[in-house]
Amino acid sequence: MGLSSIFGGGSPSQQQETLIPNDNSNVKTQLKNQISQELAVANATELVNKVTENCFEKCLSAPYSIGQDGCVDQCLAKYMRSWNTISQAYIARIQQASADGDI
Amino acid sequence: MSGVTPNDLQDLDDISKKEVMSFLQAEHSKQKVQMSIHQFTNMCFKQCISSINNAELSSQEDLCLKNCVNRFLDTNIRVVQSLKNIQ
Repeated sequence: MGLSSIFGGGSPSQQQETLIPNDNSNVKTQLKNQISQELAVANATELVNKVTENCFEKCLSAPYSIGQDGCVDQCLAKYMRSWNTISQAYIARIQQASADGDI
Repeated sequence: MSGVTPNDLQDLDDISKKEVMSFLQAEHSKQKVQMSIHQFTNMCFKQCISSINNAELSSQEDLCLKNCVNRFLDTNIRVVQSLKNIQ
């Protein structure tokens, strides 16, 4: 579960608590954990797909006879850094709009 | 991942149902932001990252990524405004 933990899922739902049926708080906790976990997996999957697509494009070319592991490693690192930059810029923008009362 | 059954959900009391609903709404909003970040990163990485020579972002690349998001959002706002005016 290494990858999904990037997106904040993971540990809580890992230790399967013994669920007492009809116990409201237990069902709630389980449900929340399950949802968080699935979202984390979906986000990790999306990230893997996008990184693969972009780094395949940047690092390899036809006739694809040789791999480019070094380039792919650097590309992945660059993509993660880009993700951070974009995320900060976007969130700053959302916060600005919300402070201005636009949203 | 088969912890919660539909029956468990039906048996929740109203307060718990409300709590679960607001949890879902909050997660949904967060997820929309996440998906936008995926989309912007995908789009701006293609435009701003020209070569992979090292693992660091150059200062031009970093600036290009920031500008890319901001100009995309400007464009989005502009389009929405213009469509509003047509109505």
